[in-house]
Amino acid sequence: MTLVLTACGGGGFADEAATQADEGGVTEVRVLVNITPNLTQTYWDGLVKTFEDANPGIDVKIEAPTGKGVADTLQQQLAAGNPPDVVETLMVDKTMAPQMLDLTGQPWVKGTPLVEEGSLGGKVYTVGVGEQAQSLVFYNKAAFEKAGISKPPTTYDELSEAMAKLKDSGYLPLRTAGDFVTGLQLLQLSGPARAVSHPQWHQDIGAGRLKAGESMLPHLERYKTWIDKGYVDKNALGVKYADGETGFFSGKSAMYVMGSWFTASVAKAEPDFEVGVFPAPVEKGQSYPGPQGATMAAPYMVLKGTAHKDAALKLVQWLVTDKAAVTSQLQQDGNFRSGYERKFTPLEAEVQKILDEAPSRVAQGEGYGENTLPRGFNSAWNTEVQGLYVGKSPREVATAVDRWVDGRS
Amino acid sequence: MRSTRAGVATAIMVLPATVLYAVMLVVPVGLALYLSLTDWDGFSASPSLVGAANYADLLVDPDLRRSAIVTLLVAAVGTAGLNLLGLGFALLVNGASRANSFFRMVLFYPHVLSALVVGFLWSAILGTTGAVNSFITTRGGEVLPFLSDPTWATITMIAVLVWAGFGVNVVLYLAGLQAVPAALVEAAEIDGATRWQVFRNVTLPALGPSVTVNIVLSLVTLLKTYDLVVSLTAGGPAGQTQTVAYLILWNSFHDARLGFGSAQSVVLMIVTAALAFVVTRLRRRGEMAVHQ
Repeated sequence: MTLVLTACGGGGFADEAATQADEGGVTEVRVLVNITPNLTQTYWDGLVKTFEDANPGIDVKIEAPTGKGVADTLQQQLAAGNPPDVVETLMVDKTMAPQMLDLTGQPWVKGTPLVEEGSLGGKVYTVGVGEQAQSLVFYNKAAFEKAGISKPPTTYDELSEAMAKLKDSGYLPLRTAGDFVTGLQLLQLSGPARAVSHPQWHQDIGAGRLKAGESMLPHLERYKTWIDKGYVDKNALGVKYADGETGFFSGKSAMYVMGSWFTASVAKAEPDFEVGVFPAPVEKGQSYPGPQGATMAAPYMVLKGTAHKDAALKLVQWLVTDKAAVTSQLQQDGNFRSGYERKFTPLEAEVQKILDEAPSRVAQGEGYGENTLPRGFNSAWNTEVQGLYVGKSPREVATAVDRWVDGRS
Repeated sequence: MRSTRAGVATAIMVLPATVLYAVMLVVPVGLALYLSLTDWDGFSASPSLVGAANYADLLVDPDLRRSAIVTLLVAAVGTAGLNLLGLGFALLVNGASRANSFFRMVLFYPHVLSALVVGFLWSAILGTTGAVNSFITTRGGEVLPFLSDPTWATITMIAVLVWAGFGVNVVLYLAGLQAVPAALVEAAEIDGATRWQVFRNVTLPALGPSVTVNIVLSLVTLLKTYDLVVSLTAGGPAGQTQTVAYLILWNSFHDARLGFGSAQSVVLMIVTAALAFVVTRLRRRGEMAVHQ
């Protein structure tokens, strides 16, 4: 029913509302944002208050998703003819591009994080506040010490050896979970090596020169051996994302693959052991550290149909360039941006160092901008990778992934 | 003249309901049919017509095949569970007493909870690191894969659906039991019938219409199972507990394939209606045979 009712729109309530607002002398800019435990409605309201105070003619209305997430809500609002002026969290792809304002001509977009990597067809639609490192392995320093591992592994072979030692020392070597975590972790862990082996991975898959599943087969095979050897919990699929984190903080597991936002969780949890972090390993013979998987943090887009283009642009410019606004957002969600100093925890400082030392940034999984796979790839990948836990062979998983991609191409 | 006036009055009285019915049912169904013939992604302003391409894709979609089997399993086993438990408990708490009133409330209570809450609740109880497994592992036992093994997860999902829903069946069967003629029961007892014989030969036949309503309602509800999947298993492990309704929402919004999702909706609607029709006809035939 919801599906169908969303299609009932197509009208033009936005213009009507805008006219009414403008008549009152105040322009209302509606911003659809993602609400998370870190980025609460209260936080967003407080953030934009500074902007409103500096711009008395603009009233910023923060809107939380009414659907399952920002993407669903935006679809429903577009269908109902009532889209917001600005949307946060989503990155442009070919599906969304026709609905978004081309920001290429705006001088302030230059120098914003990953702006070129996120562009589509040479045009900038998405601008962000910072960046998130993806290919990170967080580890329990006490567990490594007890297992006699003096330095973090740099290749997959070393990683497997370290896992064996950790298991012998009584630890679960790698903490995983169900939900979306299973597939995400393997993408994060394999990202740097895959970027070296297949530098044009996304484009090659898009052009039919490479099979996504086939190209990931070595990683799937390695992961399967980890399951068989008990390096990951064979019942991990019954663990929720949040419980996976809690499991790592309990101190019984040694490593947890996750993005840089995990630093905020560590700071909050204050585990009774020291947490370290190292870039995901690479294949033997590849240069370490490899390219770092990176995504834009707090990406913003302006809707093309906005009736308040100037006000919306002014707001987005402020959100991604104003020193205080940027620092606040980085701090709140544990994100990073060169040149914007903020109070770092020791772990965050390590992540910043990893980002600084990474030879390049690469998109992972579904990707963004020009490096985009069909929408839904990450979920399809996750579902198939979970198959390794329930009896599927790596070859079957790879084939299923390729069949999915072929079906969407 | 009089009949014309009566006809106009009838039309006026029927009009509001007709308009509501059209707006709330006919128009959405019509739109779903239209969208199922397009490639709409939910973002573009104007969908393009693609004919029956979405329906052709349905035939070869492995995800749909898998979720259709799961959905039919959930509907069949769940319907049996809901009705057996519903009828059983209705017989137990039938009759006017304070204890029965209390137990009726307790039995109905899970249905009051949102399915999302129920899913998260049971996930916290039955998950790998949940209450039950923590209890087992702290005593040296092995983790039970309630949510991490495909077979276990499917059984768990059906069990939770039944737990959350059978209160409604209890209420419906209780209403049906009020209509069982006391004289018939009494006559059977005087004739020396055992309790089972009374139930089998008097109560159950008299409950025929209630059984039909319960089965059809359970079936239709279970064929649309969505929210509990989201919160309990998220479709996992490895997509093995994805239902058709879950897949429809996933394809439509997550994968931005609203045209394809609409085609799935149309097929689900037709299958649900057909199953409900067949079950009703079969039940009615059975009821008539009993009364003859």
